[in-house]
Amino acid sequence: MKTATLSGTWLGKIVVTIVLVFVLLPILWLAYSAFLPADAVLQTSGIPTGFTLENFAKLPFDTLIRPLLLSLVVSSLVAVLQLTVSLPAAYAIRSGAKLLPLYLLLLSIPAELMLIPLYGLLKDLQLLNNPLALVFPFIANPFIVFLLYSGIAKLPWTFIEAARLDGANNLQIIISVIAPLLRPEMTAAAVLGFAAHWNLVLYPKVVLDNPMWWTVQVALTDMLRKDPNAWGKLGAAAMLTSLPILLLYIFFESRVTKTLEGGLK
Amino acid sequence: MKLRLPAGWWGVVPSLTLLAIFVLYPLLQVMQISSLKWDGVAAGESIGFGNYQRLFSDPDLGRSLITTLTLAAFVLPIFVVLAAIIAIELEGTRFERLIKAIMFLPGLWTVGASAIGWYTLYAPDYGILATITNGALALPWGDQGWAALTLVGAFTIWQNIGYAVLVVSAGLKGIPYETLEAARVDGANESQIRWRIVLPLLRPSLTFLAVIGGLYALQSYTAVFLLTRGGPFGSTKVLGYFLYETAFERFEFGYGAALSIFALVVAFTFAALQARALRGSEQ
Repeated sequence: MKTATLSGTWLGKIVVTIVLVFVLLPILWLAYSAFLPADAVLQTSGIPTGFTLENFAKLPFDTLIRPLLLSLVVSSLVAVLQLTVSLPAAYAIRSGAKLLPLYLLLLSIPAELMLIPLYGLLKDLQLLNNPLALVFPFIANPFIVFLLYSGIAKLPWTFIEAARLDGANNLQIIISVIAPLLRPEMTAAAVLGFAAHWNLVLYPKVVLDNPMWWTVQVALTDMLRKDPNAWGKLGAAAMLTSLPILLLYIFFESRVTKTLEGGLK
Repeated sequence: MKLRLPAGWWGVVPSLTLLAIFVLYPLLQVMQISSLKWDGVAAGESIGFGNYQRLFSDPDLGRSLITTLTLAAFVLPIFVVLAAIIAIELEGTRFERLIKAIMFLPGLWTVGASAIGWYTLYAPDYGILATITNGALALPWGDQGWAALTLVGAFTIWQNIGYAVLVVSAGLKGIPYETLEAARVDGANESQIRWRIVLPLLRPSLTFLAVIGGLYALQSYTAVFLLTRGGPFGSTKVLGYFLYETAFERFEFGYGAALSIFALVVAFTFAALQARALRGSEQ
């Protein structure tokens, strides 16, 4: 379908330019500051200059690299488990299980409200200070179910009926009919699920206070707190820890934005 | 009567079981916690409805609610208007995809790294902007409440503007080409088309944005934690942060639990109103 075309205005162009600068400025500054020598902050006037790789070489293992690796493993695991649990659920809802309103209701519970309830439960289960606390509560995610359901709802149902006539059971239909057709939505769900878990700040701080189990966000928060004016060191840490997100986004950006845009129509 | 289950019904069982354990059960348990005076470690002491009575006489909670509403009132209009202007301006242009992709990036960017970027850029004392302008561009969020709230609001807009543009864009792409052509044939000029045709047709998208924008303002507690820690002088303690602080920095779990229940009621009321607003805007 051909859609609306509108002619631009000067005001619009100015707004887009200003917002684009506003969006990019912190990211570009991080990329620039990551290579500034340690004494750049002492420069009293003008834009600090200098180039060094030392900031990266000096990044601490215990209080940054290990948390980074832990987050990579745990958030990836959560994203995979979310897909595994959510795809059959989305299929069941599409097949007629009348549970969509329940999932939408659960979707509207703000995350911070779960901090105290989950803390109480994890304490009873003796999962405080256990990295499993980063995994179990996040596997069932109403948003992922909803995203996959919207994708399945757009598939022509005749495919599924044809597979049923051919004698395929539901598990076979999910694995060999739905999953391949739903690859864009599943990719988007995995990226968004990974990023949402990766970017948890207060929850991991609260349930895991042993530095052994620091996640990447807890480590970054701690570093900013201890050294707020170490531009080079902070910039290097920020760029290194943003690299996984940047790579995911470069590879899968169009699937993420198209799925979100498509789901909104 | 025979109960007919839909095909593949077992698919929801793992998901529902996990949700029952990690969402529903904790929410029921928190009701019980809300009747206790409990520091989170030793055994709690039952005080009945004491925590709820306290809710209605706590000036700090009142202040936190006002802060949350102030933030929403200032973030929402900017958020919706910017998204509408940007999406309309970009629609159909050569750079549409690239610019939309760039604007969405902050929403996923490692949030601790974003906080570092914002802090070292905008801090009034060590920030690069304050340094190179000799203090002329130093937003005084270390000691002025309004400046700190502006910073939290700006960070929230920064994180979510890309998604907002996608929402309006999706709405725009749903407008059939013929509608605009017909208006042009009838002699409407471009600004009439924009204000009289496109904007009214975008109403469902803009309503949706206003609703989720409200939720973002409620959830800006991460930005508060990363950038201001509720300060200066409690001026940025939004409800989510107040809750966190009550339980995990002042160790009043019973009162924190009562606050959670209270906030849940507010959130569900808000969700019900949002559902009504969305239905209304689709008619």
